[in-house]
Amino acid sequence: MNISMRWLSEYVELSGVSATEVARILTDRGLEIESTRSLSKGFEKVITVKILERNKHPGADKLSLCKVSTGSGEPLQIVCGAQNMKAGDIVALAQIGAVIPNGLKIQESKIRGEVSFGMLCSEEELMMADEAEGILILPPDTKLGQPLADVLGRNDTILELKITPNRGDCLSMIGVAREVASALGKKVLKPQVTELDFKGAKISTKLDAGDQSLQFFGCEIEGVKVGPSPDWLKQKLESMGSRSINNVVDCTNYLMFETGQPVHAYDASKLKGTELSIRLGRSGEKLPLLDNTEVVLRDSDLVIADAERSVALAGAMGGGNSEVTDSTTKLYLECAEFHAVTVRKSAHGHDKKTDAATRFEKGIDSANLGYAISRLKDLIIKAAGGKVTGSTKTIHPRHPRLTSKKQIVFSPEYIREFLGVTTSDAEIRKTLTSLEIEVDTNKPLWVAVPPSYRNDLSIKEDLAEEIARTIGFDQIPATIPPLSSVPSGVEPKLIERAKDILVNQGLNETLTYAFNSRSWLTQFGLDSGIKIQNPLSEEQEVMVPSLIPGLMKHHIENENKTFGSDPLAVRLFEIRPVFTQKPGAEIRAVGETDTGTTETWKMAAVISGPRFASSMKVHQERVDFSDLKSVVESWFTALGTKGIRLRSWDSGRNLTHYSKIFHPGQTAEVWAGKDCVGLFGRIHPALAVKLKLAKDDVWLTEIDWNAVEKLSRSTLSGATFAPWAEFPTMERDFALVVNADLESDRLTGIALKAGKPLAKVAKIFDVYKGKPIAEGKMSIAVRVIFADPTRSLAEAEVEKASQMIRDGWKKELGIELRS
Amino acid sequence: MSDLIGKLNSLEGEVLAQIAAAKSSDALEQIRVSVLGKKGSLSEVLRGLGSVDAAERPKIGAVSNQVKAKVEEALSRAKETLGSAEINAKIAKEKIDITLPARSLHLGSLHPVTQTVRKITHILGKIGFDLTTGPEIETDFMNFEAVNIPKDHPARDMQDTFFVGPGVVLRTQTSPVQMRAMREQKAPIRILCPGAVYRADNDATHSPMFHQIEGLWVDKGVRFSDLKGTLQFFAQELFGSDVKIRLRPSYFPFVEPGCEVDVSCFKCGGRDEKCSICKGTGWLEILGAGMVHPRLFEVAGYNPNEVSGFAFGLGIERIAMLLHHIPDLRLMFQGDVRFLKQFL
Ligand SMILES: [Zn+2]
Repeated sequence: MNISMRWLSEYVELSGVSATEVARILTDRGLEIESTRSLSKGFEKVITVKILERNKHPGADKLSLCKVSTGSGEPLQIVCGAQNMKAGDIVALAQIGAVIPNGLKIQESKIRGEVSFGMLCSEEELMMADEAEGILILPPDTKLGQPLADVLGRNDTILELKITPNRGDCLSMIGVAREVASALGKKVLKPQVTELDFKGAKISTKLDAGDQSLQFFGCEIEGVKVGPSPDWLKQKLESMGSRSINNVVDCTNYLMFETGQPVHAYDASKLKGTELSIRLGRSGEKLPLLDNTEVVLRDSDLVIADAERSVALAGAMGGGNSEVTDSTTKLYLECAEFHAVTVRKSAHGHDKKTDAATRFEKGIDSANLGYAISRLKDLIIKAAGGKVTGSTKTIHPRHPRLTSKKQIVFSPEYIREFLGVTTSDAEIRKTLTSLEIEVDTNKPLWVAVPPSYRNDLSIKEDLAEEIARTIGFDQIPATIPPLSSVPSGVEPKLIERAKDILVNQGLNETLTYAFNSRSWLTQFGLDSGIKIQNPLSEEQEVMVPSLIPGLMKHHIENENKTFGSDPLAVRLFEIRPVFTQKPGAEIRAVGETDTGTTETWKMAAVISGPRFASSMKVHQERVDFSDLKSVVESWFTALGTKGIRLRSWDSGRNLTHYSKIFHPGQTAEVWAGKDCVGLFGRIHPALAVKLKLAKDDVWLTEIDWNAVEKLSRSTLSGATFAPWAEFPTMERDFALVVNADLESDRLTGIALKAGKPLAKVAKIFDVYKGKPIAEGKMSIAVRVIFADPTRSLAEAEVEKASQMIRDGWKKELGIELRS
Repeated sequence: MSDLIGKLNSLEGEVLAQIAAAKSSDALEQIRVSVLGKKGSLSEVLRGLGSVDAAERPKIGAVSNQVKAKVEEALSRAKETLGSAEINAKIAKEKIDITLPARSLHLGSLHPVTQTVRKITHILGKIGFDLTTGPEIETDFMNFEAVNIPKDHPARDMQDTFFVGPGVVLRTQTSPVQMRAMREQKAPIRILCPGAVYRADNDATHSPMFHQIEGLWVDKGVRFSDLKGTLQFFAQELFGSDVKIRLRPSYFPFVEPGCEVDVSCFKCGGRDEKCSICKGTGWLEILGAGMVHPRLFEVAGYNPNEVSGFAFGLGIERIAMLLHHIPDLRLMFQGDVRFLKQFL
């Protein structure tokens, strides 16, 4: 909503109060200022001049050489390219030094050899119109040498307000004036009107939509002359950012901006019959509107209808079938009140979110219709002539706000305690009264009755806000509330530790969108059952069931960027929820909280590129499975996660929905208890091709965080001390030649079992394939550490245990030692 | 006898000369073994002692000890000199170029959104807030109706909502988490709810997904002034002890009174008309807040006549952009490692 300072000053005395001051007052009272703009900006050195002579430019056919007079002093020579002016015209001259609204700086210049002491301006250059043919020609009686801003009535500042949905009353000049007046301790100057008598109407009004039609005031005027609006009207509408249409329509808009009450003028000669009613639309009925569109009505829409058809979409827009045109002489003025939600649904349903609909939606002043239509009648007679031939009104007998006044019971003590202030009873009463809130203070509990235009005031907290914003939020003390229970502390949650551990492994946390395109998910063999009904784009169509597609998008975007000649390392992770449909459920609200969806938090990561962040060629080995395994294992170790087991991925059996993402031969399953909770391994080579990756050694993991969380230490201090061996350990190394596809943890597992109780640790420390080892075989070296926490070991008993281990390998795997 | 002493003396002379001429620690060690060892030349000389008068023996023994001591002293002095020369030579040979690039490990980093959430929760944790989270797909009831935004209310236009099914939306705010918390526990309640929220809006300053953190404090006798004090504490901890806050009355359906909160520009303090942070206004809008609307207490099963409370919500990306001078919101969601690696 735009507020013209000049216009505002008609409703509250503002002499000596600057626009900046008004802006501050409104901000402090809760009306946000989006911008402040001076209409005379750029007009500072633009004045009115008369063209004395217009001659041809000697050096250019299309240019003229004008002599202009500012009314005093020597005439000035101006070079001008326009063709629409002649000697005697009064025009606008941008003088040397002016910076006109389109940004052009005016300097003394020579154009094709002729000096020009300024520029004659067009409306386009002054940003008064989108385009202009030729320069601005002013009326012949315009005084010379005057600032153009004065002549055009542009000495004004426009405050652009952002009105919150609760303050529909401030969508009007008078509403804003009330706020300013209350702050300045002044009175609102509401224009005087000659009130209509609501008699003698030829057309009667009828409320025919139950509780959705609340009031209908009508007024008939004959003998109007429709035409362009007078300047006072035009200028005000322009200051509101509204285009002038004709004097009658402009008056209806003027009235709406002034009072907040939307009204409509019909060409009375186009209305059929002798009754206008507010009724519900007839399903399928067509209604042509003023914006040259046609809507097909629904039975939930509210319309104004004559004897034969709908003539307006109630509260939103008038009908094209009863439009006021240049030939109109008889007017019918409608001033009505409709149910706010019905107007909102109609306006939104038909995409007619007009200024009028906005005001109805946010609530109008139910007690002001008589004033508004009387004022409208005065404005129209002033701007377009004519005289009233009759008027009428119909009010719903059980109008919710007019039949009973809202009462708010409260105590001044409550206000003080709730706000934490010491404002006195007298001040509280005075503040409420200044806002036209009636207060009965005769009993211990006070009773407040808000004015009819304040639909937002209904509970005692609302009154507290009125007090707070009037005394000023800056006057409220700042206190820290006392603790009435022991705080649970600020120890970081486990998920934060989980992130820190990954950061310590050299991974960068990223954030991917929770939605992605269905086609992108398809590349990964994934689908989503959760579709956004109104996506902004196809890219953001469905909720993701896995974090990997989003992470891979980031991976690829990095690949496509320039990082010089260094090979690119991408090491990204994320811990966020993924979204799936509950099995067998539909996505719809059931009860208050069930959505038919499940959110599972996942940890996902992608690593690729060089193992070290070094530019030295010798260090540029690329990460492989072992690096990824280290990331995952260290993560579990540092989280203190218990009961995690790793297995080779059986891609036909476990987590099969990942079968297009992970390489079946280079991927591990992660088991937590009885559940397979995630995978880590190489990207599937086919996916790498599909995604056009530069290299296919990209390593991925996705693990169910909810499952991991349950098995992890909940706090840092949860670790318990374990003593280490005090007695010396003994080691034995074994070299074996085994089938190349043997999983090494079988060897260590058997060693620990067979070497019990002395064998404490068994680990692989070398693997070799190639000559002289036979094809299909590998040489593998196992180290076993023997210990007894209570004593030193003897050679013989270690030798015995070692033999048990060799026997175990032979028995279970048929393996003979190499040496 | 004199013969033996003479031999000892000449041995001493020879050995000292050898020591003086030795060029390495190894050579000295060889001399030590050849002279003082079991089969060394000193033992050799002393083997002649058997043929000497018993009365003469102590004298010869004394001379022999003197020779031994002299040799040992000369050896150790020479060893020291030679040793340090050798170490110096080794040091000189082993000099490396420390300016060569390191075999560096990759450094990980937390996303600025996470870092900002941590900063905020750390600050507010100090005065008693705890963390809680809730689902991102919500019912219309929890996201809107339960927090006093009924169907067909103009306040619904304040947020462009993504719908995923009948009565199911992507939450537009973290307020439903408040409501869930109040339904699960009795007052006093002091919680922070960080998380992703969604609005159908996408341009340089709006992302369809972004993060909010919402604070809620409900207890007996909580005042509007407590909200102001809490926010002032928060702003000063986050932006510096000299910043001021400004509360402007505003409207959010779930609070009454409601306000928008500005913090004075921590960069220029309002003294720079061309300030890149505050654009010369001196103020930065950082959050929305207010006293919990009694309607929410009713929905939560609290008695609005017994408890009161305040709530506030802020956009995390906005705070992160201010704190880290990030020029464009979109950088947050692009995963560009050149961006991510800056926030170590
Ligand atoms: Zn600044």
